[in-house]
Amino acid sequence: MDYFRSVTQSVLGAPQPGQQPSGADTVERLIDRVQSSTLLEDRRDGCRALKSMSRKYRVLVGAHGMDTLTQVLEADRSDHEIVNYAIETLVHITSPETYQEELEDSEEPYEATHSSVVGEQFTEIFAKRQENIELLINLLDEFDFKVRYPTVKLLTNLLKNRPKDLQEVILVIPSGVSKLMDLLSDSREVIRNDVMSTILWLATFLGFQKDSEEPYEATHSSVVGEQFTEIFAKRQENIELLINLLDEFDFKVRYPTVKLLTNLLKNRPKDLQEVILVIPSGVSKLMDLLSDSREVIRNDALLLLTQLTKHNTNLQKIVAFESGYDLIFEIIKGEGLADGGVVVEDCLILMLNLLRNNPSNQTFFKEGSYVQRLASFFTLPLDDNEGWSAQKVTNIHYMLQLVRSLVAPQNAAAAVFSCQRLMDQCGLLQTLTALLMASGVPVDILTDTINTVSDMIRGNMTNQEFFASMMAPSTPPRPAIVVLLMSMVNDKQPFVLRCAVLYCFQCFLYRNHTGQAQIIQTLLPQTADVVSGGKQCPNSITAGQLLCSGLFSHDPVSNWFAAVALSHSLVDNPSQKVSANEHDELESVCQGLCAFLLGLCVQYNDGSGTSFSGEALRQLVTDRIGAETFTDKLSNISRAEAYTKAVKSPQLAVKQPSDLVFDHEFCRLFKSLEVTCVRAVTPQLDGGSSVDVSPVEVTKYKDIIRDQDSEITLLKQRLAGVQLEVADVVAGREQLTAQVQQLHDENTGEPNITKEETDHSNITTNTATNTDPATTTTTTTATATTATTEHLQQQLAEMTHARDYYYYEMYKKDAELTAIQQQQQQQQQQQQQQSSEVQQQSQQSQQQTTGGENQLNNHHNKQNAVDFFDSLSNPEMENLRKQLEGLQLVLHNKDSEIQQLKETAASQVPAHSEQNGTADKEAKVSEEQQDATQARLHQDNTTLRQQVKDYEIHVRQLQTQLETAAATVAATTAASVVVPGCGTTAEARCRQLEDELDTIRREQEDLLVLVTDQDSKVAEYRRKLRMYGEDVTEDEDDEDDDAEFVAENYDDDDDDLDSDIQ
Amino acid sequence: MSYAYLFKYIIIGDTGVGKSCLLLQFTDKRFQPVHDLTIGVEFGARMITIDNKQIKLQIWDTAGQEAFRSITRSYYRGAAGALLVYDITRRETFNHLTQWLEDARQHSNSNMVIMLIGNKSDLDSRREVKREEGEAFAREHGLVFMETSAKTASNVEEAFINTAREIYEKIQEGVFDVHNEANGIKIGPQHSPGGAGLTNNQGAAGGQGGGCC
Repeated sequence: MDYFRSVTQSVLGAPQPGQQPSGADTVERLIDRVQSSTLLEDRRDGCRALKSMSRKYRVLVGAHGMDTLTQVLEADRSDHEIVNYAIETLVHITSPETYQEELEDSEEPYEATHSSVVGEQFTEIFAKRQENIELLINLLDEFDFKVRYPTVKLLTNLLKNRPKDLQEVILVIPSGVSKLMDLLSDSREVIRNDVMSTILWLATFLGFQKDSEEPYEATHSSVVGEQFTEIFAKRQENIELLINLLDEFDFKVRYPTVKLLTNLLKNRPKDLQEVILVIPSGVSKLMDLLSDSREVIRNDALLLLTQLTKHNTNLQKIVAFESGYDLIFEIIKGEGLADGGVVVEDCLILMLNLLRNNPSNQTFFKEGSYVQRLASFFTLPLDDNEGWSAQKVTNIHYMLQLVRSLVAPQNAAAAVFSCQRLMDQCGLLQTLTALLMASGVPVDILTDTINTVSDMIRGNMTNQEFFASMMAPSTPPRPAIVVLLMSMVNDKQPFVLRCAVLYCFQCFLYRNHTGQAQIIQTLLPQTADVVSGGKQCPNSITAGQLLCSGLFSHDPVSNWFAAVALSHSLVDNPSQKVSANEHDELESVCQGLCAFLLGLCVQYNDGSGTSFSGEALRQLVTDRIGAETFTDKLSNISRAEAYTKAVKSPQLAVKQPSDLVFDHEFCRLFKSLEVTCVRAVTPQLDGGSSVDVSPVEVTKYKDIIRDQDSEITLLKQRLAGVQLEVADVVAGREQLTAQVQQLHDENTGEPNITKEETDHSNITTNTATNTDPATTTTTTTATATTATTEHLQQQLAEMTHARDYYYYEMYKKDAELTAIQQQQQQQQQQQQQQSSEVQQQSQQSQQQTTGGENQLNNHHNKQNAVDFFDSLSNPEMENLRKQLEGLQLVLHNKDSEIQQLKETAASQVPAHSEQNGTADKEAKVSEEQQDATQARLHQDNTTLRQQVKDYEIHVRQLQTQLETAAATVAATTAASVVVPGCGTTAEARCRQLEDELDTIRREQEDLLVLVTDQDSKVAEYRRKLRMYGEDVTEDEDDEDDDAEFVAENYDDDDDDLDSDIQ
Repeated sequence: MSYAYLFKYIIIGDTGVGKSCLLLQFTDKRFQPVHDLTIGVEFGARMITIDNKQIKLQIWDTAGQEAFRSITRSYYRGAAGALLVYDITRRETFNHLTQWLEDARQHSNSNMVIMLIGNKSDLDSRREVKREEGEAFAREHGLVFMETSAKTASNVEEAFINTAREIYEKIQEGVFDVHNEANGIKIGPQHSPGGAGLTNNQGAAGGQGGGCC
């Protein structure tokens, strides 16, 4: 004060004794002097005096002198001293703080308390002129400490007072920000540090002002902050500079740097993250802050790191690498775990940032035995009721979130499983279950805990079993599940809690067949006293009972909960899933569900109830509802908002009872069965067309379709090429065939067309003879030509041989048939002998005999064919011939038998005539019987003939096929003859031959079928013959015993008949 | 579960030299011929025994691609050991070693033990870098050298364990400050005074605030 007085005195001259000049006067005079004096020294002195008075007479100096001071800054810029005084004065005026001097003889306390308002007002006035700020920024170019330092101070003050105004102005001044930034590299620490706070203030107020009452201003300032940050972060060096400033231990440096970085991160997280990521040891310098002994810095570093790691996996990993978990756990422990304050909350949020959706960090967490440390969080003195402050609730909430982040159903199943196991082993599960059962736990925490425990047991048998065995500390002790279910079906309980219990129940039953079975057991009244945990506990409530009571409760929410819970007990049995209670406003969903149910009925109908068969139901649906309507209703479900919500996460994400519609498990089931349903009901409809599909799936399918499209075009092109080739080949082949035909005609020479049935055999023989030389020619020519053709021809020869064999087989059957027919004829002859008296009969028999003779003739011709094949000296044929000989032998035997019969008949006839009345009667009866038999035989005969005709048609077909085969063979031959050894066409020919080979193969197959056909026919004939009493089975037959047995039976019948006749 | 020391390792080197395969062979004892490109950094851990002491290795397998270089640099500082890997069948991966080494020396603490690894020794027929060249490079720069095969597991154990032994010896010599975690070394819970140990399967009521650190 003495100094101040002396200055004032020296400036104003000696005061009149006893009369102190008033402050106002002095200030006025000083301002006038600065303004009007022509001498620099005078102005400088004036400024110095103003500066010293500006603390005490702040309002006065500000109100009257501001313009003068800015003029000085403009006019006397070259004199650093005066600039220094002027700026210092302005610093005082605009200071947001209250000066001691101000308070000293201030009469009105009012003013003092509002000194910050004063500062703000002056700032407002000052900043109104943009030029003023520009001036200050330009003054920063001066390196002189006397100028630069106070300028920075002034700017800081201005920013503190009116951040928005200043931010705006500085941002629009060209290179305004960069000039400030340059000061960060000022070698003088004081300046650098102060610039720090200037910049800090410049970048501030996004975070804080977001809560502003005026939404416009808030967004506005945030935009400014963001713009500034953008400019600032554009130069990576700026951020690097800030990071390097953290090496400075000085609080004045470190603290604002942390603040500034936090603000920058808040404003433009992505930009800052990118820059910090590539600054070597950038993160580790930030991590070092967590070990700062000054808690303010440490706590702010927590916020900084939280901002830094938001949505950036790489930074999360680096923070974890830099012993992030250890440091965070240390702080949490030091702060007193859940009882710690907001710092613990900040720690937990940061930890959550590191773990959520970051599998790598989760693995690290697990591997580093940090899960065990989590357990220590929850070992709180649970019973004291006083200790549930809002902060504690929040802290525990985040602790539980932390646990859940490790076992969230969205994580990889294997990772979740190993975490669940660890949590069981380290006692975390037990601790949390205990918390679940503890009394006095706030509902929010209880709900969180239930949800957490749910995720911890979900799909893990060991943990589920542990959970089932948990007993609540109630009297009498009840299983935890029962106690929880009691809350679920109790409409007095908070809704969120009930939802959590349902989720817990679902998780307990998830992939838990034992649990499901136990719950279902308790549904039945007789086992009602068996508790789900398996412990005997008579007269207590069971889970099943609770669910039933919930199902029939008056509270619709209880109904829904109980129904869904039950559905999870029956998750293997999808058709049982009925959402019990739909609200009226959700009618479309309800209709959809009905449609779904109907679809399921159709799809999973086992057809046991005839009136409800799948087909009948489908008919009903299409008739009554219409397929379109059905699919439309079905897709109503997936369109519903509640569905989309429920399908996202297994946990219920609803806020109020009226939102309860779907359950996650149901949605999954629905998703998987929707298409099946649509197909089941509308088989003719294109399944996917009317079904709602997610865009991802659509793109997936689009991709597939595109791929298929390109494939199709490719194949089409190839097909076109192949078709061209084929056309070429066909043309060539036709040409060759024509040639072959010509040759063939010349070869055969004699015409072999006859009208008689018998002639076709000749044709066969001819063709067969034709085939053989052709084949031999082929073989011989082939040996002469190229090796490939030879090989193919060899194959062809083999095929022909095989074909011949089948032909032979056919002939054999034919021969058998003829033999049988012969037998038949003989039998008829025999009959004829027996009934020699009837002329008509005899005539008929004669006709039959003629027919038979024809057939015999036929047989003879065929025999020729057989002989021909015999000449091929096929060993099989030898065998067959033997069989044939056997047959002939049988025939012979039969002949003699017939002869015998004739004789007996001849002897009987005279005896007959000798007998009187009775004998005549008998004869008549016998005659009648014989007549009937005769008629029947006649009928049979005609059918047989018909069949023989059919068979012959077959043979003719075979002949034509054989002809074609022969033609192709000839063609091959011709081809190989026409162009022998022509290298270029050899390949084409090969292909041709291969084709032909295929044709022959097919023919062969056809023949095989025909042979089989004939075989069965022969068998049929045989059977018929047997009916006529002929014994045909024994020697010629390779048939099974059954046939013989049948034959024997027939023999017996015949015996009876014989005796009847007799 | 408890360990005397915890060492942090990093694995560095060009892309495709087999860093991730080496880690997989060491931690899981299996070889995966087709491995996804490492994005940023991946983590693996295993317990080993040196001098009858349990030592936990925390290994950070870095992406070799240039694009990730700036990210992976962040891991140098906190590591006690580094495996610098090249591929004996690709000369250029050997040629880049100097660059890698410079980077490592610049960003890591000076005591970091660096082991030079010539990987894919099973592909001797396609060898482009002679064993002697690797040895010479290691000698010149004061590194430990080894040729390994992540495929046949040859020398993989040795590479990790020898590095750990080197670090362990440096600790015994007092070169490393084990209390400064920035060196990539941590003393295990059993060594810290008053460590509560791990609470396996303890009852719900049995747990007290202590835990371990």
